[in-house]
Amino acid sequence: MRLPPGTRDWLPQELRRKRAVENVLRGVFERWAYEEIQTPNFERFDALEAGLGEALAQKTFLFADKTGTQIALRPEMTTPVARLVSTRMREAPLPLRLSYVVPAYRYEEPQEGRMREFTTAGLELIGAESLDADAESLFTAIEALDALGLGDAHFDINHVAIVDGVLAGLELDARHLAESKTLISGRNIVALRACLAGSGPQDAVEAIVRLALTRGREDVLESARSLCRTDAGLLGIERLRALLERATTLGYGERLNVDCSLLRDIEYYTGFIFEGFANEVGFGLCGGGRYDTLLPRFGFDSGAVGWSLSVERMLIALERRHSTHFGAAPAIDVLVSGSDVIAARERAAGKIVRIDFDRRDEAELVEEARRRRIPRLVIATSGDVREVKVTW
Amino acid sequence: MPDDPGRRLTVTTSDGSQVLLLRPTDVPAYVEFGAADCGIVGADVLWETTGNVCELADLRFGACRLVVAARRIDRYHEGAQLPTFLRVATKFERSAEAFFAERDVPVQLIKLHGSVELGPLVGLADLIVDLVATGNTLREHDLVVVNEIALSTARFVVNPIRFRAKYAAITDLLAKLERPVPA
Repeated sequence: MRLPPGTRDWLPQELRRKRAVENVLRGVFERWAYEEIQTPNFERFDALEAGLGEALAQKTFLFADKTGTQIALRPEMTTPVARLVSTRMREAPLPLRLSYVVPAYRYEEPQEGRMREFTTAGLELIGAESLDADAESLFTAIEALDALGLGDAHFDINHVAIVDGVLAGLELDARHLAESKTLISGRNIVALRACLAGSGPQDAVEAIVRLALTRGREDVLESARSLCRTDAGLLGIERLRALLERATTLGYGERLNVDCSLLRDIEYYTGFIFEGFANEVGFGLCGGGRYDTLLPRFGFDSGAVGWSLSVERMLIALERRHSTHFGAAPAIDVLVSGSDVIAARERAAGKIVRIDFDRRDEAELVEEARRRRIPRLVIATSGDVREVKVTW
Repeated sequence: MPDDPGRRLTVTTSDGSQVLLLRPTDVPAYVEFGAADCGIVGADVLWETTGNVCELADLRFGACRLVVAARRIDRYHEGAQLPTFLRVATKFERSAEAFFAERDVPVQLIKLHGSVELGPLVGLADLIVDLVATGNTLREHDLVVVNEIALSTARFVVNPIRFRAKYAAITDLLAKLERPVPA
């Protein structure tokens, strides 16, 4: 028997850790007054297509049902949430705070932290376009990683209008503009220099290349401001500045950096974007941002901001730093032999009961309880009930 | 660790950094998976990998050319008609494939791991795609360059996450590497 690539089984101790992580996340979402929702694991592809970018649509598992309708396994949760909000939650008072912990599927080349079936957890704040909403989205993510024990994770923030504002200072045709954004995002500096060469004065080009290499706080905003040629870009810079200020008040200042090269899924995000990292993990821990054009594509005229993470990646990050406090096996309270009634009574009292049906004698049962670290043993034999305290 | 310094795989520098001595083709993997924060590797190696690493600087040393070469006596370099079904021996499969695909030339690529120049001499292939530094190896085997594909130089590459995590140290190293060497 072989599993399809990119899928896995979850053994008891593995699933316990996964559930523990999910429940910590749910706790954070609840404390911020987000309400959990679910959508079907599969739905009509045409219902999602409007929201998935081309790259994600390419990675979507598709199949036809018996009527020939194209069905998709959801590759992420933001688009299904947008579909749901624009249909059954149209009349709900805004802003809406929704969270989810659901499986998702992508046709990926399987590697560490990239499975074809994974669990995506996150939240969406819908119907709020203010800085408050951007800040809430970032702070919920920081608190979520903190709650998981990743309190040293750091976060890079950016605003997608900045790169456009900066590149507007050069003479670039559409193809070179798109290509340079891809190169900036991959921090492919050698190819970026070649791509931008001749599109403006050499020192202007070099200043933009330097900006793509720089990460920092006020200093980066300052150099971005001096290079930015659009009002939208300047507003983006101002929003990041205000956001840094609020984060600093909460004590997060040192963990945040502005990185104008952080360009996640540019077809999707329209404003503030961020990503969380931990030093020893080779992939981003969580990421998200503002996507004000997604809901309008579903006929619901509203902005939104949200983020998500992969639960499996959290497990890898925690394992990497040997955090074992998650998912300890629940201790069994009592071992019962020979009586359904006694076992039922113990369970009714809230105890975790293991039933022994091998009809062993007392010495063997004590040995069994000792081996399994069960502190109480109840043996029922033809009307006689004996309780034994077990020590080890 | 072996006592012979020539066989060491790692060296610790005066500032405590650990330097790994790797086969060039292994550098992208070490950097991509974060076993090394950053690395120095030829562009020709990067062309052959799909790894997710950031190329921060062209260090301009170690220059060599990736070329298409053939036997002098076949006169392909002077425009002689190429066979209809081209066989191309190379270590540089991706680069070779891209080069011929861009020109819509159908080829049979033969992946080799060493001494590619032997290929045309014994009839394994019509052409080879290989790196040339001085051209001596080609001359010794009476091979000539038919096409230049690209110029390769040493590149400074980093793991995208480590660039963020160790930003100060990596940008410091980048500045040192980019500083012109005093004559």
